Amino acid sequence: MSPTRRRAITRRQALAGAGASAAALAAGVCRPAIAQSEPIRIGYLPALTGPSSSTGIGINRGTELAVKEINAAGGIKGRQLELIVRDTQSDPTKAVNASTELTRRHKVHVMWGPLNSGEALAATPLIARDGVPQMHPCWVDALTDVKKYPLCFRNAPTNQQIGGAANHYVFNVLKLKKVAVVSDTTGYGTASLTAYVPMLKAMGAEVVYEGTIEASNPDVKPEMLRMQSGGAQAIMPWSVNAGFLSRLINTRSEMNWDVPIVGQTTLGSGQTQALLKKPEYWEKVYPNNFRNCCYNEAGALPPRTREFVERIRKANIEMSDTLLWWIALGYDAPRLIAEAIKEAGTEPQAIAAYWNKVNNWPGVYATITFTPEQHNGFHDNEVVMCRANSLKDGAFTLAPGYAG
Amino acid sequence: MLESIISHGLALGAVYALIGITYNVMFAASRVFSFTAGMVGMLGGVLGALFINRMGMPVIVGFVLTLASGAVIGIVTEILTVRPVLKSLDQHLYVLSTLAFALMIQQLTAIEWSTEPQPFPRLLPIGRGIFDQQFWLPMLACALVIFGLEWLYRRTLIGRAFLAIAEDSYAARALGLPEQRLRMASYALAGVIATLAGFSSGEMMLAYFGNGPLLNFYGFVPVALGGMGSNRGAVVGGIALGLFQQSASVLVGGIFASVAVFVVFIIVLLARPEGLAGAATARRV
Repeated sequence: MSPTRRRAITRRQALAGAGASAAALAAGVCRPAIAQSEPIRIGYLPALTGPSSSTGIGINRGTELAVKEINAAGGIKGRQLELIVRDTQSDPTKAVNASTELTRRHKVHVMWGPLNSGEALAATPLIARDGVPQMHPCWVDALTDVKKYPLCFRNAPTNQQIGGAANHYVFNVLKLKKVAVVSDTTGYGTASLTAYVPMLKAMGAEVVYEGTIEASNPDVKPEMLRMQSGGAQAIMPWSVNAGFLSRLINTRSEMNWDVPIVGQTTLGSGQTQALLKKPEYWEKVYPNNFRNCCYNEAGALPPRTREFVERIRKANIEMSDTLLWWIALGYDAPRLIAEAIKEAGTEPQAIAAYWNKVNNWPGVYATITFTPEQHNGFHDNEVVMCRANSLKDGAFTLAPGYAG
Repeated sequence: MLESIISHGLALGAVYALIGITYNVMFAASRVFSFTAGMVGMLGGVLGALFINRMGMPVIVGFVLTLASGAVIGIVTEILTVRPVLKSLDQHLYVLSTLAFALMIQQLTAIEWSTEPQPFPRLLPIGRGIFDQQFWLPMLACALVIFGLEWLYRRTLIGRAFLAIAEDSYAARALGLPEQRLRMASYALAGVIATLAGFSSGEMMLAYFGNGPLLNFYGFVPVALGGMGSNRGAVVGGIALGLFQQSASVLVGGIFASVAVFVVFIIVLLARPEGLAGAATARRV
């Protein structure tokens, strides 16, 4: 082959080259334009059906409201928020499959959820592996770890904070020193017992009874007699089983034993209420709650929560069958996500870097502060106790002893 | 303390005995241990609460409908999970088929009813106390069932036919007894007894889908203790189990009560594998 022939370009080659150049140019020029107008994809994993769905349904109302408001206000720099929703059906396996679908197939910019701990325990390592920033509201302590999951943040309290608030209330607010701590035999119950008893002892309380009871045991009186004979001044049950909790409450009243019961939020649930033999048995029962979503003694909510409730009402969002703090929690998360993307863009590291600097962010549910070393954003003093029998429009009244 | 042992112990024991009898009635007709017994027992509480609390029916109507539902579920159990595997009893396929059906019942209850315990209605408008109806109703139900079965098996033709099937199904069939229909009737009867157990103990145990596995297991213990097929043995075993469990709960407390029950259960089975009231079976060599 001669050099002349080697340098010659045929018409076909010229056309192919021009076509390729045009395609490359088009891709280079148009991609940013498309990227700047395409929606911001939020992978969202609520449990809308199944046994854990009551929480998911409540949170979902807040999340949908926040996204609707943000999009109605023009989105983020002209880009709409798109919630890509997958109902986990309260099943960790489905949560895992859905999270992989969202991170890999839909290439979401951020994940919101899963919304309960069982599912989050299964899905969080996979979301971290795929390098997607994640916000979740689950309480299990191990679900945030700046080393293992550097892109994962929590906008809710940890179990340590929940137990710590109950311990603080019994020991420092009610000034009771002799405490009975009881749990059911579930993982949650026994883990709580193991975690909270040493905390109480470290505070100086005397744990006069520490026991585990099968949740289905129909008779808790023998255990309560042990608590009573030990001189317990307060009972702290750790269980999410309404049957177990209602048996403790019923038995306390039938024993004419006037000690407070202080513990997990289920103490104040409608399911627990339905199992009480008399409504007055719910007196002196104080479950966990959150300061921003509680009425003070005068019956008023904090100003920013009051304003939020007005907005919920205007949006015709049903509140009678759910809790205000679930809606507020769901409302806060998309706003935190939107703010990060607005200020830092959609790159995962940039979003995490922005959240790492969030300081006293004024959410409806909670004031949030993150640091590079601390991805649990909830402030200790915002976890409080409330009166179980004070539910009105999805919110409770603070337990006695707190300053309004 | 003593009052708690007696009242709760006897009541729980009666419920365990009734579930044990349910196992026995099904076993006698088919030589199959159907692990649906506890689940149908659980349904007795759930259906009672559904008919009376949620649907607002009178107690007596709710009671009859609950027992009728138990009979239907018993028949469905026989048709779906027992009949197809009867030809290969030695392969113990019934363990899989009945367990699978039991799990289906439990999961459907969880989905359609609730995963949370629900209140069960107070059946009689009388006061509370040591002799509360939540304690004596299961005992009364147990007494009625045991006397009723004795009467049925010894004084009626159909009862004797049940016994004939239980003794030797091939011989009974050769004599012209309708084995299949009698087996279905046995399963219907077992369903009625199980739902009666759940209904009568509803106030004590609540209408809760989680009661199913508990009744399945604790109801099987009296059968193993009392001897397979022996209703009297199941009653003695059930009452003993209830009293022992409650005593252990009072004396050693909490989770150790369950451990104590299992320890005694294993010791008894090691000492008398055929059960306290059962007869040792000859092995064909």
